Amino acid sequence: MEIILQNSDILIMLGIGFGLFMAWGIGANDVANAMGTSVGSGAITFRQAIIIAVIFEFAGAVLAGGEVTATVRKGILDASAFTDTPHLLVYGMLAALLAAASWLFIASSLGWPVSTTHSIVGAIVGFGAVGVGVDAVSWGKVYTIIASWVVSPLLAATLAILIFKSLQNLVIDTEEPFSNAKKYLPFYVFIVGFIIALVTMLKGLKHVESLKHLGKDLPTSMLIAVLVGIAASLIAVFIIRRIKEIPEDDQEFSYASMEKLFGALMVITACSMAFAHGSNDVANAIGPLAAVYSIVESGGQIASKSVLPSWILLVGGGGIVFGLATFGFRVMKTIGKRITELTPSRGFSAELAAATTVVLASYTGLPVSTTQVLVGAVLGVGIARGLASLNMRVINRIFLSWVITLPAGALMSILFFFALKGFFGA
Amino acid sequence: MARADNITSLFGKSPIAPLQKHMKQAHSCLKDFAAFAKAADAQDWDKADAIRISINKKEEKADKLKKKLRMNLPSTFMMPFSRRDLLDVLLIQDSIANITKDLAGLMMTRHIVFPEEISSDFIKLAGDCIKTSAAALAAINELDALLETAFGSRERKVVDKMIKEVNRLEHETDDAQNDIRNKLFDLESSLPPVDVMFYYRAIEWLGETADAAQKVGSRFEVMLTK
Repeated sequence: MEIILQNSDILIMLGIGFGLFMAWGIGANDVANAMGTSVGSGAITFRQAIIIAVIFEFAGAVLAGGEVTATVRKGILDASAFTDTPHLLVYGMLAALLAAASWLFIASSLGWPVSTTHSIVGAIVGFGAVGVGVDAVSWGKVYTIIASWVVSPLLAATLAILIFKSLQNLVIDTEEPFSNAKKYLPFYVFIVGFIIALVTMLKGLKHVESLKHLGKDLPTSMLIAVLVGIAASLIAVFIIRRIKEIPEDDQEFSYASMEKLFGALMVITACSMAFAHGSNDVANAIGPLAAVYSIVESGGQIASKSVLPSWILLVGGGGIVFGLATFGFRVMKTIGKRITELTPSRGFSAELAAATTVVLASYTGLPVSTTQVLVGAVLGVGIARGLASLNMRVINRIFLSWVITLPAGALMSILFFFALKGFFGA
Repeated sequence: MARADNITSLFGKSPIAPLQKHMKQAHSCLKDFAAFAKAADAQDWDKADAIRISINKKEEKADKLKKKLRMNLPSTFMMPFSRRDLLDVLLIQDSIANITKDLAGLMMTRHIVFPEEISSDFIKLAGDCIKTSAAALAAINELDALLETAFGSRERKVVDKMIKEVNRLEHETDDAQNDIRNKLFDLESSLPPVDVMFYYRAIEWLGETADAAQKVGSRFEVMLTK
């Protein structure tokens, strides 16, 4: 207790610093993965992508990120193990943040594919199990999280198959693909807008003090979700109304005009991806920070119920924007350039499936990897025979990234944990 | 921060455009044979040889395209059709160019000139074979539209029709071949026997180009049903 009271300022400063570092890493890498497909389709410019990312990552984090933040903050570890030693939890969360951020930085510089989610989960479990004791970890929750890393790409693949197959039957493989696209696409946008809004209302808002009451009222939630869905589909209608069918373009390739419609809607899918990513991945940076803050502020109390202060969200959002501005835009550019094989209709299907899956994961409070969910969705489109050639070796790389990242994050966080313990005192 | 991204490394190079390019090349080889047959018939051997050289070059280029496509098809790639079927189609496409090269080479070295009674039939048969291969090329060129519709039933029907057309044209070349053979049989006794042997062989090889074009079509059909 005394250690915390004596060092409260410096502990919070460290938390903010490490949290920013982590958020910066997420902005530099992850966001580009989530939005690169939209940029690659040429529907949005880099500047627009960054503006969309800033607004929707932020909105996702604030409105729907609470549940995952809660998991990272107090779900993975058993709080009762720290009642007498709250300072160890503070050290641990600081160590985990620094470890995950450093590992991200190192691995990314070496070109290894790693997930921010896996880094932070590995780091928290690492210091908990080794630094404090095996009992300090809520293993049941950890197994659920690991299971979700397998289930979420599978779910995304299934959704992508459903979305793409229905598009094939209703729009693409029809007599008039262009006019059918105009007719049906707003419905898809409606459904996704509705799901994202409903999930946000039901689970996300309960973590936002001023909007808490809205989520408790199911009819109101439904109504608002329907309105959001309608608003999204109206925006879609507005966007695609301006696009005209150009028969000359369709002579060489009959679907050129139709693809342009899908391309225009990539703006909306980009927004939904950014929102989904924000709702799930920002927690990786601010969850530990929130834990540090609430313990230090209460002078050593591990409060199970405490609302996330909004400045912490600002740290998360700000860090991500900074990461995007310094490195992320470059990564986004390379990804956008390389993903030319993913035509707009495929990108549309994959991104809608991925965004829905990630938001559903956020609803259940499970931290998943947005990149891996998107990979699952793209594979789904491939299974539906929508893509010319997919490199299945990526699956090996995903497993490899798990095998490397989880122990690496854990090991580094154990080291940092003991360093902090030595520095501030046990 | 150079990162080997999961997302970008997911996408392989599409084999569709290369396959279409190869078929175009093989077809262009056979297309040149029409001019070769006319030059040979006119006994303009300088011109014929120039065309033969051009055919050889085109065949070589087709060969290179074939090898390049094969190299870019690791077995870890997931494609909307079987890799085996794609390689089969490629191989049969390549045989169109190979047969054309051999045929032009044979006619050149032996300075084969068909007897007047059948010379125009032979030139016409060449035209029919070229038409068959053009029809097969048209079907192969639908592959990008097929992919776009994810091999939807509507687009499949369009392609089925095209493949039927290939079959019909090939059948015509069979009939034309028979006619020439019958005519040749009647003339046989008045011609030098060794020449006759090679007339038969040239007719057979020319017919084989249409057979190959038909096989491209039917193998392509198999490739589409996954």
